[in-house]
Amino acid sequence: VKAVRVFQLTTLALVLVAAVQVGYWLFDQRAFTVETVSAQREGYAEQLAAAQALLDAGVPAARVQTLLPKIRIAAGRAELDPVVAAGLESLERRRIRQYAWEGAFFLFALGLCLAVIARALRAEAKVLEEQDSFLALVSHQFKTPLASLQLSLETLALRTPPPEQARVLTERMLADLARLELMVTQILESARLERGRVDFKSEPLQLAPAVQHVLAHLEERIRGARAEVTSRIPSELYVVSDPLALDVVVRNIVENALAALAGGGGRVELSAHARDGEVELEVRDSGVGFAPADGARLFEKFTRLHPGGGGGYYGTGLGLFIVRRLMQLARGRVSAESEGPGKGARFLLAWPQAAAERP
Amino acid sequence: VNAPAAQVLVVEDDPHLAAGVAENLRAEGYAVRLAADGESALRELAAASCALIVLDVMLPGIDGFAVCRSLRERGDNTPVLFLTARGDPQDRMRGLESGGDDYLAKPFHLQEFLLRVRAILRRWDWYRGASATAATAVLRFGGNEVDFRSFRGRNWNGEVQELTEKEAMILKVLAESGGEIVSREDLLEKVWGYDVFPSTRTVDNFILRLRKRFEADPANPRHFLTVWGVGYRFLAAGEP
Repeated sequence: VKAVRVFQLTTLALVLVAAVQVGYWLFDQRAFTVETVSAQREGYAEQLAAAQALLDAGVPAARVQTLLPKIRIAAGRAELDPVVAAGLESLERRRIRQYAWEGAFFLFALGLCLAVIARALRAEAKVLEEQDSFLALVSHQFKTPLASLQLSLETLALRTPPPEQARVLTERMLADLARLELMVTQILESARLERGRVDFKSEPLQLAPAVQHVLAHLEERIRGARAEVTSRIPSELYVVSDPLALDVVVRNIVENALAALAGGGGRVELSAHARDGEVELEVRDSGVGFAPADGARLFEKFTRLHPGGGGGYYGTGLGLFIVRRLMQLARGRVSAESEGPGKGARFLLAWPQAAAERP
Repeated sequence: VNAPAAQVLVVEDDPHLAAGVAENLRAEGYAVRLAADGESALRELAAASCALIVLDVMLPGIDGFAVCRSLRERGDNTPVLFLTARGDPQDRMRGLESGGDDYLAKPFHLQEFLLRVRAILRRWDWYRGASATAATAVLRFGGNEVDFRSFRGRNWNGEVQELTEKEAMILKVLAESGGEIVSREDLLEKVWGYDVFPSTRTVDNFILRLRKRFEADPANPRHFLTVWGVGYRFLAAGEP
């Protein structure tokens, strides 16, 4: 990175030096032309004076003419050949115009060059800044569960608590470890998604069994959240997506709905239907909801509207970000709405529909 | 009979960390209240004061620095111990500038945390105790007047002076010294604790601020005198 920066700055400096050099050279050339032409003019003026002196001294006009061919003699008076005078004039004008055009072009090209380099530098600075803030956020995300782990361990070491409290501390530590593991997985996943390094398959997939698979997998979490989950997915609905991405997306949305119940129990309803060449999966929960204006912010990296989570579940702020990226890759969309805090939420996932009869 | 337990408000959005901190503080004999974000912390404090605030920096909504600043703006001088995931020096300085008393980076050591809590409370106990009676609550010198309970004063020129807690504490330490020399290290230890600030230069800056507030000619101080190479001496009567 440092070598690249040095290279860029060196190029920038060289272009700047070149621009100054070209500018200087052009002005120098122009001065030289003006000087040359005026020297020639002076020469002709001297020749003219000499011719006149010779004529005045009585030297025959023909003799003077052979001696000074550029001087024309008419009616005993010497004057500069008009062709030569006009040639001199046009030479000066042409040269100066040429410098003006070439100079302008050179400077324009160099200016463009500078602009391109400056732009590249700025873009790079922005990327670095984004990486920095990403790192700052990631380190914050890691340090909180680490701090919690350390605190629990040191509490155990310092206080020798009664068995009941020791069990609470142990469970807390296990949950912190699970949180760290989830974070590592999701950060790697989102980094992979951001760089576009994903092998995304697009194939027709039956939605109902995919959702069933996720719900079966989350059985324990559902019980823990005291959630009443209902799912009405018609079996004829097929979506176009990557099988793994479909699983991740549905799992994240359902986990999010369970977390929104905040340990207080409630309903999570899944339903799906086809509309305008798309299959829409709707996930409603009776959980904590959010301010209507926060609907779009939810899918940004590290947004956690309810950082405390619910019932001991911790979000990393990456789950919905990953969902949005995966839905973009699937050429689908995802949105969230809520009527306000405490009023539950509704998440909508839409994939391109696949023909049902295809295998 | 024991004195009533000191109240500590823990403002932390992470439930595990909040629970862990609260359990340990309770085990040490403090009474603990919890708040999960900045707004509810401010509400809690408006309802009832406490002896110390343990304040996380990265909170949902308004962050810890802003919470501390708005506390100080409304004249609440409750000591604040910042807990934060960022431990770089600039962040540390920001925390202390926003009115914090101490700063601890996550993950932290439990015993160090408890030690710091104790140190802050001890400093404030001393300050409050030393400003408890009518005689010690108000300091008068050279036409200046400072009330240590309200952190407010009036200088020789009649201008009202709102002191920060650190300025008030330094002034208190100096005033208590009875004209003896107080070293920079002593001031650091008594006002900040051990390793919060990187250098004793900080003390010098605070002395400059006090001179600007209360000296008729800050360049030629009569009350806040420098003792070269050692520290400071405060003369209430003014240098003859």
